[in-house]
Amino acid sequence: MAGSTLALVGFGALFFLLFIRVPVGLAMMAVGAGGIWMIRPPAALPVIATEIFGEAANYSLTILPLFILMGNLAGVSGMSRDLYSAAHAWFGHLKGGLASATIVGCAGFSALSGSSLAAALTMGRVSLPEMQRYRYDNGLATGAIAAGGTLGILIPPSAGFVVYAILTEESIGRLFMAGVLPGLLLTFLFIVAIWLTVLRNPEKAPQGADKVALAARWRALARAGWIIGIIVLTIGGIYAGVFSAIEAAGIGALLALLVTILRRALTWPNVKEVAASTLSSTGTVFLILFGAFVFKTFIGFTGVTTALTGWVADLGLTGTQVVIAILLLFIVLGMFLDGFAILVLTVPLVQPILQATGVDLIWFGVLMVIALEMGLISPPVGINVFVVKGIADGVPLNTIFRGIWPFWFAMLLAVILVLMVPDIALLLPDTMFG
Amino acid sequence: MIETPLLLRRLERILDALAVASAVAGSLALAVLAAVTVIGVFWRYVLRDPIFGIEDVATMALTVTVAGAIAWGSRRGAHVSVNVIGWAGGRGLTRITDIAARLVSFVILALATYALFQKGACGIACGAMTSNLGILHKPFFYALGVGLGIYAAVTLMHLMIGLAHWAGEDPNEVAE
Repeated sequence: MAGSTLALVGFGALFFLLFIRVPVGLAMMAVGAGGIWMIRPPAALPVIATEIFGEAANYSLTILPLFILMGNLAGVSGMSRDLYSAAHAWFGHLKGGLASATIVGCAGFSALSGSSLAAALTMGRVSLPEMQRYRYDNGLATGAIAAGGTLGILIPPSAGFVVYAILTEESIGRLFMAGVLPGLLLTFLFIVAIWLTVLRNPEKAPQGADKVALAARWRALARAGWIIGIIVLTIGGIYAGVFSAIEAAGIGALLALLVTILRRALTWPNVKEVAASTLSSTGTVFLILFGAFVFKTFIGFTGVTTALTGWVADLGLTGTQVVIAILLLFIVLGMFLDGFAILVLTVPLVQPILQATGVDLIWFGVLMVIALEMGLISPPVGINVFVVKGIADGVPLNTIFRGIWPFWFAMLLAVILVLMVPDIALLLPDTMFG
Repeated sequence: MIETPLLLRRLERILDALAVASAVAGSLALAVLAAVTVIGVFWRYVLRDPIFGIEDVATMALTVTVAGAIAWGSRRGAHVSVNVIGWAGGRGLTRITDIAARLVSFVILALATYALFQKGACGIACGAMTSNLGILHKPFFYALGVGLGIYAAVTLMHLMIGLAHWAGEDPNEVAE
C-alpha cells in the first residue's frame, strides 16, 4: 500500500476508534503502532517503548506536573478565592461587573495554572453562587465561567503551549511569552462581550454588587498579593531571562507550597487532594503525548507530509491563506474533538506545510491555541461547558451553550486580530529573545 | 439494579490498591522532582555553582511520576475519550462499541507494557542510561511498564464488568 494511502486509512481508523470512545492517547498509539507494523514490522514494538520512555523522560516536560501542582496548591490555599474577591471588589458594582470579575479572576488563575478545566472549575465554584445571588442570567453567568476558563491554555503557563512546543521543537519560553498579550487581549474582548450583552439586554445582569469603598478595594487587592506576586515572579522571571520556564515552574510550585503552609491549609486531606489531582491531570496529558509521538512516527514513515507539502505548493497558496484554511479546519474539528486531540493529531501533518510556506510557528501556535479554545466551548462536545454544567445544578445544557456565543465571537475576533497584527503574539518573544 | 459479581468486585479492590500504591509512588517522585528543580535553581543562581547531572535526576523522577499518574488516572477516569457516540446511539449502541473500545485499549496497553519490559531488559548493553550521571534506564522502563500494565488490567476489568452489566447501566462509563 502506498504511503499516502496508508496514512489516509490510518486517519480513517483513528477517527473510528475515537468515535467508539477509545481514549485519545490509546487510539493514536494503536493506529500508529499498527501503521508502523505494516510498513516495518520489526520496528513497531521498539518504537512504542522508545517513544513512551522518550516523552516520560523528557526534561522539558518536567514543567507540566510542576505547573499543575502550582495551580492545585493555589486552589487549596484559597489564593484563587482571593483573586476573585479582589476582582469582585473592583468590578462587582458595574453593570455585568460580576461576570467581568469572573473573567479577570479566570485570567489571573490561568497565570498560575495551565489547565482551562481547572480555571473554569476553580473560578466557577466561587463566582457562580455570587452571580446567582445577584440574579444574573444563567446563560451569561455560566458562559462567562466556561469562556473565562479557556484562558487557561492561552495565558502562560499553558499545557497546550508545552505540548505544541514539544511537537514542533519550538521554545517553550517563546511560546509562553507569545501567549501573554493575546491572553490579555482576549480577557479585554470577553469583558467587552459582557458589556455589549448587558447593554443589549439589561435584564441579563439586573443588579450589581454594592459599591466597595476604595480602601476596602485596596485591601482586597492586597489579600490577592500572594497570587499576584507568584505570577509576577514566575512569568516576569521568564520574561526577564532570570530563569527558564522549567525553573519558573519549580519556583512557582515552591512559593505556592509556602503560601499554603503559611495559611495553614496544608492539611492531610488537602495534600491528598492536590497529589491526586496533579497526578490525574499529568496522566491525562502524558498518555495523549505517548500516543501522539507513536502516531507522529507512523505519519513520518508514510511520507504523507511531503506529498501534502507538494500539493499545497502546487496550489500556490500563501502562508496566510494556508493558516486561515487550517484555522477553519480547527474550528470545525473543535466541535467534535478534544482540543489536545486536535493539537496532537494535526500538528505533525501541518507543521511541514507551514514551514514550507514560511509561517512563523510561534505565531501559528498562538492562533491555534485560540482556535482550540473556541472548541472548548463549542457545541456539542465543548468540554468546559460540561465542567460548568457539573457545578451549575439546575442550569440546562442548552442555556449554557446559548450563553457562550458572545464569547465565541470574541474569540473569533481575537483570531482575526492576531492574524492581521502578528506582533500581538510576537512582540514579547521577539523583544525578549531577539 | 445488576450487581457486579463477587470475583470482579475483589479484582476491583486489588486494582484500587495498586492504583493507590502507584499514586503514592508518583506523588513521592513528584516531590523529588519539585525539590530537585528548586535545589537546582538555588545552587545555580544563588550559590553560582550548578549541580552536575541534576537534570538526570529530574527526568528519572518524571518517569516515576508519569508511571504513577497513568495508573492512578486509569482509576480516576482521567484518560479522555471523545463522547459523541454516547449521545448519538445511547446505551443500546455503546454496550457493543464499548466492548470493542476496551478490547483495542487492552491490546495496545498490553503490547506497550510488553515493549517497555523488553526494551528495559536490554539495559546497559543498549546504552540505556542517562548522559551525565549514568543512571540506568532499566528500572524506569519497568516502572512505566508497571504503570501501563495496571491500566491494561483496569481496562480488562472494565470490559468484564461491562459484560456483567450488559442488560443495565455500565458503572464504568468511558470518561469524557
